[in-house]
Amino acid sequence: MNQNRIIDHPVLGHLENKTPVTFTFDGKTYEGYEGDTVASALLANGIRQLRVHEESGSTRGIYCNIGHCFECRMTIDQTPGVRACLTELTPEMVVESGKVQPTPFSQPEDMPQTYADFTEKHTDNKEGDPNA
Amino acid sequence: MRDIVIIGAGPAGLSAAIACREWDLDTLVIDEFPKPGGRLVGQLHQEPDGEWWNGIKETQKLVDKAEAFNTEIKCGVSVHHIEKVDNGFAVHTNQGVIDTENLLVASGAAESPAPLPGWTLPGVMSIGAAQVMTNVHRVRVGNKGIVAGVNVLSAAIARELQLAGVELHSMALPAVNTVTKDAGNPKKVMDGLVRIAHLAPSAFLRFGSKFAKAAWIRNLAVNFYPKGGVKMWGMPIHIRKAIVSINGTTQVESVTVCKVTADGEPVAGSEETIEVDFVCIAGGLYPLAELAAVIDCPFQYVEELGGHVPVHNQQMETPVEGLYVAGNITGIESSKVAGAQGTLAGLSIAKKNEKSNAELDIKIAEAMKQVKTIRETASIQFHPGINAGRKKVEKAYQAYEQANA
Amino acid sequence: MDHTIICRCEEVTLEDINNTAEKYGCSARELKLRTRAGMGYCGGRTCRPAVDAVVQEATGEEPGNNLPLKVQPPVRPTSLATLGGQHQS
Repeated sequence: MNQNRIIDHPVLGHLENKTPVTFTFDGKTYEGYEGDTVASALLANGIRQLRVHEESGSTRGIYCNIGHCFECRMTIDQTPGVRACLTELTPEMVVESGKVQPTPFSQPEDMPQTYADFTEKHTDNKEGDPNA
Repeated sequence: MRDIVIIGAGPAGLSAAIACREWDLDTLVIDEFPKPGGRLVGQLHQEPDGEWWNGIKETQKLVDKAEAFNTEIKCGVSVHHIEKVDNGFAVHTNQGVIDTENLLVASGAAESPAPLPGWTLPGVMSIGAAQVMTNVHRVRVGNKGIVAGVNVLSAAIARELQLAGVELHSMALPAVNTVTKDAGNPKKVMDGLVRIAHLAPSAFLRFGSKFAKAAWIRNLAVNFYPKGGVKMWGMPIHIRKAIVSINGTTQVESVTVCKVTADGEPVAGSEETIEVDFVCIAGGLYPLAELAAVIDCPFQYVEELGGHVPVHNQQMETPVEGLYVAGNITGIESSKVAGAQGTLAGLSIAKKNEKSNAELDIKIAEAMKQVKTIRETASIQFHPGINAGRKKVEKAYQAYEQANA
Repeated sequence: MDHTIICRCEEVTLEDINNTAEKYGCSARELKLRTRAGMGYCGGRTCRPAVDAVVQEATGEEPGNNLPLKVQPPVRPTSLATLGGQHQS
């Protein structure tokens, strides 16, 4: 736990005794410090993958760490889409990674891009045509 | 209705708040980060006089002073929209709507990306992210990393990672593509390195800083750049090597690096794989001005300032009645300049209610001078043309005023 | 062609943008709407300078004083509850 902490620093000094804070990530219990964000507590525990892209499933982690990129959005205490980098860790917090979401619509490349495309694809079944 | 709402609790926002409170304005500072300080908190560098600039301490000084004036600072508040309403603004946040007569947008900067194949993998982060993790949260971002992008910001932060004992293999350029064409061009990068050379205890770079004012010497330095890179604080900086891809299945496992010509063209067959578990993307900063954009503040494109900035005058007023700007939203400069701009903006806001106050007029004149003095003496200059850039914005403001007079 | 992702949120590649620009000869705005580059979860904050650069090259439009791609509120993803006046604690 907390294996990735920078304990001694030549300018900033020794990391003072920090108060441990216990939380869970995807059901497992971890420990961070008071003053951590969810993102820093997870990284201190060696966890880099915070979610997968909702459509493609590609893995994602912390990118900007300042709330701009939303790459670290997670479900925190049942609220989805919360930025881990802006959320202060609190005791017994329940943190869950972001998962792939169902995509009810077809891929964009299957969809007509112009009206010409549309008419070509749908020459036989014009919208509103009762005979289609 | 508040007298003034300040968006952003960085050096500009906090300094402005102090000035506003000194003149007894009903002031609220909001920021979406859980702690005040903005990008200042992560900063840690040695000044030319040997003193350490410690962002955590500097932030504390500002917060203490703001608190001494009973300034209300609310963190964890995100603004998603601002509307211009009668006599002021309605600021829409995740914690409700705040009405205010005046508004200071001190939202700072965002990092420009340097897109590379594989840059969405966990373990790839912006260099600013690594800075905050290292200095503020005291978390090691990985066991061994590489920096993609050689510029004033990345050199300063690479030094901070080293200080904290985080191992960096090297700094190298991002491979050239449409986005990274300047950041991946050794000649253009050398121009930038010359500006930070005084930070480096390296004979090579000091040589560069003295003589490299002539373009032909810079070209020579690019053409004969040492194969092992130039070492700054023991870490090689490569401007003739580029990172062509970041590799890994679920997170960063390695990078592929190749040699490049003096113009940044990859040398075929020179690829090598370097095992790293983190990559810092350093594409530079651009003014984060979205909140000025949603209230239809006019913009000016000024390359020297980092991109599009809200039009404003030397007193930090915009053409939108009651809207002020300060800090990196007005152009990329050091946190000290941002602080001085904040003080000036705060005084300008106070001036709105105190039309004829000789003391305040003197303070404003002093604050304007202070911004210029700090700019001249800044140890880190993000762009050599900063003064020319500032003049362009001032001109744009005057043109705007004339057109709407 | 270049499969480098430019817009992380929508996973739009350099190739996607260039191909779209070539096929439709479109403006910056149209290119954004067709590819969704810069229109994802983050609102384009991360990729804006990159999308501007790619679009500039693809369309030949020089950067003017207006923002190339308009900023639309909300500038942060916002729940309907917040928009409806229910505030998070």
